[in-house]
Amino acid sequence: MGGRRASIARLLIVLWTLVILAFLYLPMISVVLASFTKKRYFSFPITAWDTVWYEKALESLSVRNIIATSLSVAVMVTAFSVVLGFCSALAFARYDWKGRKQFQKMILLPIFFPQAVLGLALLLWFTNIGIVTSWKTAVFAHMVWIVPIVTLIMSIQVYSFDPALEEAAFDLGASRRQVLKEITLPILAPGIVSGAIFAFLLSWGNFPLSLFSTGADQTVPEWLYAKMVMGYTPLVPTLGSLTMGGAAVVVVLVLIGFQIRRMRQR
Amino acid sequence: MAEAMAGPTSPPWHAKAGAWLRQPGVLAALPTTLFLSIGFAGPLVIVLVYSFMPPRTFSMFQAPTLVNFVSVVTDSYYISFFWSLGLSTVTVVLLLLVCYPIAYGMAKLFGRWANLVTVLVALPLLISENIRLFGWVLFLLKNGILDGSLQALFGLTIPSLVYSVPAIVLGLTYVYLPFMLFPLVIGLSMVPQSLKEAAADLGATRLQIFREVEMPLAMPGILIGAMLTFILTLGSLAESKILGGQAVVMIADDIESAFTYAQNWPKGAVLSVLLIVFSGVLVFFLFRRIDLDRIIGRR
Amino acid sequence: MSGVASGPILQLRQIVKKFGDFTAVAGVDLDIYEGEFFTLVGPSGSGKTTMIRMLVGMERPTSGDIYLHGQRINEVPANKRPTCMVFQSLALFPHKSVGENIEFPLKIAGVDPAKRRLRVEELLTLLRLPLSAYGKAVQQCSGGEQQRVALARALAFDPEILFFDEPLSALDFRLRKTLEKELKDIHRETGKTFVFITHSLEEAMVMSDRIGIMKEGRIVQVGSPGEIYNEPSNKFVAQFMGEVNTLEVETADAATVRNLADGRTYRVDRNLDGFERGFLIIRPEVVKIGELARGLANRIEGTLFNDYSLGSRIQYQVRVEGDGVPWLVERLQDEPFEAEPGASVVIGWRPEDGILVRD
Repeated sequence: MGGRRASIARLLIVLWTLVILAFLYLPMISVVLASFTKKRYFSFPITAWDTVWYEKALESLSVRNIIATSLSVAVMVTAFSVVLGFCSALAFARYDWKGRKQFQKMILLPIFFPQAVLGLALLLWFTNIGIVTSWKTAVFAHMVWIVPIVTLIMSIQVYSFDPALEEAAFDLGASRRQVLKEITLPILAPGIVSGAIFAFLLSWGNFPLSLFSTGADQTVPEWLYAKMVMGYTPLVPTLGSLTMGGAAVVVVLVLIGFQIRRMRQR
Repeated sequence: MAEAMAGPTSPPWHAKAGAWLRQPGVLAALPTTLFLSIGFAGPLVIVLVYSFMPPRTFSMFQAPTLVNFVSVVTDSYYISFFWSLGLSTVTVVLLLLVCYPIAYGMAKLFGRWANLVTVLVALPLLISENIRLFGWVLFLLKNGILDGSLQALFGLTIPSLVYSVPAIVLGLTYVYLPFMLFPLVIGLSMVPQSLKEAAADLGATRLQIFREVEMPLAMPGILIGAMLTFILTLGSLAESKILGGQAVVMIADDIESAFTYAQNWPKGAVLSVLLIVFSGVLVFFLFRRIDLDRIIGRR
Repeated sequence: MSGVASGPILQLRQIVKKFGDFTAVAGVDLDIYEGEFFTLVGPSGSGKTTMIRMLVGMERPTSGDIYLHGQRINEVPANKRPTCMVFQSLALFPHKSVGENIEFPLKIAGVDPAKRRLRVEELLTLLRLPLSAYGKAVQQCSGGEQQRVALARALAFDPEILFFDEPLSALDFRLRKTLEKELKDIHRETGKTFVFITHSLEEAMVMSDRIGIMKEGRIVQVGSPGEIYNEPSNKFVAQFMGEVNTLEVETADAATVRNLADGRTYRVDRNLDGFERGFLIIRPEVVKIGELARGLANRIEGTLFNDYSLGSRIQYQVRVEGDGVPWLVERLQDEPFEAEPGASVVIGWRPEDGILVRD
């Protein structure tokens, strides 16, 4: 592979990657920038830098309500998805059984499915059964999409799990419960935690499913969208920035946690 | 549990079914399977039923009719579908061009940095697409970040770039970039360097190596990335609503209108069926080509 | 030889294991004696892994009975049996340190931490591991160290029978040889019953008191290493060790057999009563070449074809007219012999060195 041409190509690729990475984070930086204005409308460059809208966000009752709604939904979704996802990850990657390949493909279907259509279909479903939509039905709706994703994430870990470890523990005298507690769960813990984080964040940030399944309740993304389209206030980028900040904190904490765990095992 | 050494007759079907059910894999799969039948299969069936109901009605229990399907053609329901197809195709092509060099870098050049790039590309997915798309609105708006900066620095001004078709393409490309990048990376990492070196050793030019060795071996990854992004962009909603305004109606938008403003559930249902069937066929072909055990289990 | 007089600790009667239509074990009867080192040898697919899994309790036999100290244990689950297995992959818990791995069975049994620590240190010493290894991560241990940790963990359980599922197969030659001897030492020091499975008869010979050869789900011969080597009961066992010269023969008269391929006759050193047809097996190392063959009762003329150096021995291939397959002959490095390929040579062996089997 010719020397000089190869290194020019290499340089170009690296530059292009950096450009695209900047491209990926540009809108998020824009949102953060827009939250620091004093004015009620948005214009750039920002002439009056202020954090006043952050205070307003944290005081506003309606903001607190939507955060509470989003939180309730996300926590419930996480709890249920982790349990269901764990079971199906075991079925997906650990046990060998007739029908497994079909099961794997079936699990993936909701991920590929247009979320808006799924949301609407669930709305029809709820209406026909006679269930009134609220944040509780949103939990159900989110799970349809999130359980498969959590399954996939946990399966990555489960694939590399050596079943001989459980057999060895059993052979050494452990009861089934002890095997689960001492061996299976600790080893699979990173996958479980990753799945939980994904479930929480994906539920928190979900828009299409929430839009149709929350009924009278409103989640943060729904509120943001409503304000984006009509009635812009700097609360939008503010709340957006707070959300991004929160997500970033969670991810960083988890990554640090994994690093510590790995260092302890050295 | 010693089975009797009985004659050659095989056990009755319910005994076989019982034995199958008792496998740990099946028991583990049961909760999610039940959940998805109620939460996924159920709603789909309802949508299908509604597509056969008379227009502008709300009950499922009427005599079926094919009127809605005919309307797809006669009442130009298909326009939004074709817009979606067009926009998705453009997006996929764009994403292939944008992501291929990066995927190449990640698979071959970046070494340990590739993991960092992976994390950086994946992180935005955890933020609501609303917020991210809105950032683009803020960027592209008149007196927004781009326009404002240009005014302040160069005294130039540009018209509002939002609420247009290119803005939608930008939004789609932006949101679904990871879904093209990651399959491409996996596909390219399946092309061993040794094969390319052997081809070069046998006299092939750079272009020939690309055509004869790289592309065919990376093709599964390319196909998966292309199909994945195509399917996802086809059914997208937020991009066209937030960045496109009223410029163009994509099929998901049309479906939503049918179910809400237009109060025409059967129309919404038939459009949904159209979208689902089309995507379904693509998904079917996609699934035939992938073996999840090999892709995920490889790690 | 230990323990034969103590009586069988483990008895297998008519063990059969089927997986759907596939029969992995096709009817096995076996006694294993207390305190002995017993090895099951067989090629891949012969059923030996399935056998051992049934004895440990990971699988249930489709039919047949397993008795431990005379008690039937078919229904007893693995965690209640006084047996323990060292897995092929070793199955060391990656999230626990060396010490935590070894003490695991004690922790499960509710032994208090102080006593556990003491016992682990005893075992570390027994297994020739440094006490400092206690807190080491298992991923950081070498292959040999990991083997020892796995063994220590199994011994911590203090089982009556220790099972080994081909633990040495993936190791390089030197490490394997070292560990073979160490296993033998530990067997002697602990006095426990060891049941080992491997596909290498050579490995089994080094360590075992008795060997069982498995083929296609059945045991074809059980005996001491000497018996297996010198008195194989059939062609399969005889050929299992490596390359041998095999002739299909029939009885010619009271003390000779005739090679069906070329009609030559050879003297044998056993009673041919009742033996009509079968195989005469002559190991390469008992066939002498050139000067060394002088005076031996069975001699043939042939053409030297090839020679191979096997380290301390040299192997020759000799073509003999009428025989399709070349004869394999070996001599030691320092035994005298000179010849070029293509030269005429004489090879021979003593009647008592030939092995006769029926099938």
